Amino acid sequence: MTTRTLVVAGHGMVGHRLAGEILENDREGRWRVVVLGEEPRPAYDRVALSSLLGGATPDDLTLAGPGAPDDGRLLLRPGTTMTGADRPTRTVTCHDGTEIGYDALVLATGSRPFVPPAPGHDLPGCFVYRTVEDIAAIRAAAVPGREAVVVGGGLLGLEAANGLRLLGMRPHVVERAPWLMAQQIDEGGGRVLARAIERLGVGVHCSSALHAVGAGTDGRAGRVELADGTVLDAALVVFAAGVRPRDELAAPLGLERGERGGFLVDQWCRTADEHIWAIGECAAVRGRCHGLVAPGFRMAETVARQLTGGAPEPFTGADTSAKLKLLGVEVAGFGDAHARSPGAIEYVRDDRRAGTYAKVVLAADGRTLLGGVLAGDTRAYPALRALTARELPASPDELLAGAAGEA
Amino acid sequence: MTGVVIVGGGPAAHRLAALLARYGHPGGVSVVGAEPRPPYNRALLGSVLDGTLDADRLTLPALPAAVRQLTGVRVTAVDRARRAIRLDDGRELPYGVLVLATGARPRTPRVPGLQTQPGRLADGVRAVRTAADCRPLSEGPVVVVGGGIRGVETAWALSGTGQEVALVHPAGQLMERHLDMVAAALPAEWLAARGVALHLGRRAAEYTPGKVVLDDGQVLAAGTVLLCTGTVAESALARASGLEVRGGVVVDDLLRTGDPHIHAIGDCAEHAGTTGTTVLRAWEQAETLARNLTGRERPYAPERRVLRPRTPGRDMVVLPPAAPVRPDDTDATVSLLDRARGHHARLVLRGGRIHEGTVIGSPSAVAEVSRLYLRDEPVPADLLALLTGADGTYAGDGTPPDDTVVCHCNNVTRKALKDAWHRGAHDEAALARATRATTGCGGCTAAVRSLCTALEGATP
Repeated sequence: MTTRTLVVAGHGMVGHRLAGEILENDREGRWRVVVLGEEPRPAYDRVALSSLLGGATPDDLTLAGPGAPDDGRLLLRPGTTMTGADRPTRTVTCHDGTEIGYDALVLATGSRPFVPPAPGHDLPGCFVYRTVEDIAAIRAAAVPGREAVVVGGGLLGLEAANGLRLLGMRPHVVERAPWLMAQQIDEGGGRVLARAIERLGVGVHCSSALHAVGAGTDGRAGRVELADGTVLDAALVVFAAGVRPRDELAAPLGLERGERGGFLVDQWCRTADEHIWAIGECAAVRGRCHGLVAPGFRMAETVARQLTGGAPEPFTGADTSAKLKLLGVEVAGFGDAHARSPGAIEYVRDDRRAGTYAKVVLAADGRTLLGGVLAGDTRAYPALRALTARELPASPDELLAGAAGEA
Repeated sequence: MTGVVIVGGGPAAHRLAALLARYGHPGGVSVVGAEPRPPYNRALLGSVLDGTLDADRLTLPALPAAVRQLTGVRVTAVDRARRAIRLDDGRELPYGVLVLATGARPRTPRVPGLQTQPGRLADGVRAVRTAADCRPLSEGPVVVVGGGIRGVETAWALSGTGQEVALVHPAGQLMERHLDMVAAALPAEWLAARGVALHLGRRAAEYTPGKVVLDDGQVLAAGTVLLCTGTVAESALARASGLEVRGGVVVDDLLRTGDPHIHAIGDCAEHAGTTGTTVLRAWEQAETLARNLTGRERPYAPERRVLRPRTPGRDMVVLPPAAPVRPDDTDATVSLLDRARGHHARLVLRGGRIHEGTVIGSPSAVAEVSRLYLRDEPVPADLLALLTGADGTYAGDGTPPDDTVVCHCNNVTRKALKDAWHRGAHDEAALARATRATTGCGGCTAAVRSLCTALEGATP
C-alpha cells in the first residue's frame, strides 16, 4: 500500500490536534504527516499564553497528547512558512524554496491580531498579544508603576490587562462596545465586571474608539488618544482588538474567500479543491469564521475522520461559551446569552450589594434553557452550560442557589 | 367650639364630612366647595370621556343632612387669629377646626398658545380634571400631551373608541417615573398597535386652534388637546395664610399644618415629603383625620398601595417603594422579560419580601405579585414561576442526563466519561488520558472530579 502525504500548513493548536487525530486513527499507516509551522517552536497552548506573565515558562505550555515528536510518520518543520502551491501537481512551496508533494493539504494558518489603523499604531512600545514572543516582548518593555493601555475589552484584552498588572503596570482597557466582553455577556454582566476590575485600579473606557497613539519624547508610545478627546498616559500599548484570518494563501492557490475573509469551506471544511481543506480560525465555514479553539478542534476532528475513513460529522456551528476568571472577578456567558432566539424569555437576578448577576435565557416554553450570563459568582456555570438546550430540572433560583451551596 | 369647616369639593372633603357625621362628631360640619355641583368621583372622569360612564354616575352619595354644604363659593382668606374664613360672597364662617382639602389643579405646560390668559385654557384645550372637562370632544384628532399614567390611560381609552390619537411626551419613554426603559416599551407597543401615534422625546412647541407644532417642526392636527401633564397642589390659600407649603401644604403625622387648628388632606397635602395623587390616599387620610377629630387619635401611616393604570385588556401594576431606603439596602432585583408575549416584571426584594416593582402583561403574575406586596408576605422560592405564572414543575430530579457535554473543549459527554471510568480510568488523570476531558481550558475539572466521586460511591 502506498503511503500518502498530508501537508498541514500551520502548527497552532488546531493543526496539532489534526496531526494527532490522524496519527491516532490511521491504524493502517497510510498517512505521512508534514506540519509546517511559521513560529520557531512547535505548537503550544496558546489559550494559556497569559500564564507566561504569571510565572509560567514556555515549556509549561507544551501540548501533550498524541502525535509525539518521535513518531516516524510525523515530520514537524518549525520556522517554515508555506508560500504557495501548484494545485495540478499537488506541490506545496515553502519560503525557503523547498517543495513538498501532497495528497491532502489542510490549511490551518490561524489568524493574526487586528491592529486598528490609527496613527501611531506601529510605534515602538505597541504590541500584539498572540505568541510566546509577543509576551516576551511585553515583559521586556513593561515599566512598573507606569500606565499602560490595552485596546480591546474582550477575553484576550482583559487577560492582557491582568498580565500588565502582574508586571506592576496600571492598565486601562479601551473598548468600542458599550460594555466589556460584549460578545459573551450582556450589559448587566458587563456592569459587574467593570465595577470589579475598576476597584482593582484598572481603568475601563467603554463605547470608546482609539483615535491615535502618541509618541513620548523618546519616540516610543507615550499616550493614547480616544475619539472623545480623552488622553491616557501609556508607556506601553497592547492591541487585543480581535483577529483576522490568515488567508493570504487564497490568492496564490486560487481559492475563494469568505465575505469577511477566511478560506471558504463547506460544513466538511472542504474548499472547492477536493484535495484541500481549511480548519481553525483561518476557515470560513459556510462563510463564517470562528475565533475560539473548541470549534477548531471540532473542525480538525471532522477532517481527520474524512482522511482516515472514519464517520465524519459535519461542523454545524460552535459553542461560544466563555468564562473569565481573573482580576478577582468571574464572569461567564453561555449559549444564547443575548436572548436572540425568537420568543426567548430572560430571567435576571441582580444583587448589587453582593456584586452578583445571573441571567437565564429560556425558550418560549419557559422551561428549556437556551443560555445565560453569570457574573460575580459563576459556580453554576458548568451545571447550567451542560443543561443548555434541555428542560430545566429545577427552578433557576434553585439551580443558582444549589451551585452556591456546593462550593 | 364652632365645629369643623372643610374647604374643598372633592372626594377627600366628601369622605371626611361623611365620616365625621358617622363617627358622631359633636360640633357642626360644613363643606365649602368651589365647584357648582356636589362632590363626584374624579378618578373615573376618563371613563366619562371615552363614553363608558355617564357623568351623572360619578356623583358621590349625598351627605347626611347634618352636614352644611356650600357649593359654588370660594374661600378668599383665612383669618387665623380670629379662626374664621372669608367667602367670595362676603360671608364669614368661623371654625374650630379648619381642614384644607382643596385638591390639585392640572399643570399646564408652558407652551405658547395653550392659555389665552393665566389659568384660562385656549379653545380646544382641556385637562381631565373636572366634570366640565368631559363634555364631548371636538371633531378631529386628539393630541394627548403627557405620557405618564394618566396620558397612557387616556390615549388607551380614546383609541379604543376609534378616535384618532397622537401622544406627545418629552421623555424618551412612557411613564418614566414608574417604569424602566424595557418595561416602558410594552405600553408603547400597546398604544402603537391601536394606532396611537407616539411622539416620544418631543415637546409641544406651539398651539393654535386645530394644530400642535412640535419642537422638531412636525405639525399634528388637533381637534382637541388633552393635557395629562400632572397636577399642582391647590395651596394658594394656605400660602396666603402663612402656612408652610412645599409640593403641597406640609402636614405632620396627625395631618396638622403648623397651625394646630388647621389640617390638610388629599391632593393638596404633603405628608412625609409625598404629595398624594390618588383618591385612595385621599380617602385614607380622610379616615385618619376623622378618627383623630373624634377622639381616637392615631398617627397617619400610609398603607401599601399598588398603582393599577386603567388600560382594560392589558394588565399592569406598579408597586411603589415601600418606604424610602437607599438602593444598596436591597437584597436583589429580579426581572423577567418575555418580548414575544409582551410580559415584563421587575421586583426589588428586601428581606425576601417585595420592596417595589412593576409587573406588566401577565394577569396572573399581576394578581399574585400585588397580593404578596400588599400583605408584605415572603416571596416563594421559585420566582420564575411567580413572574411567568407557570405551575412551577420541572423536568427530572436535577441529575444531568448522560448525553450532556461535560468537557466542551473536547466534546466529551457524561456518558463517555462514565464508559471510560468503567473501563478502568478511575481518576481525573486517567480520564483525561482516555477522553481528553479537562485538557482544554480546564473549566470542567471540578465536574469530572465530582463525577468520579459519584461513580465511586455508586460502585460496591
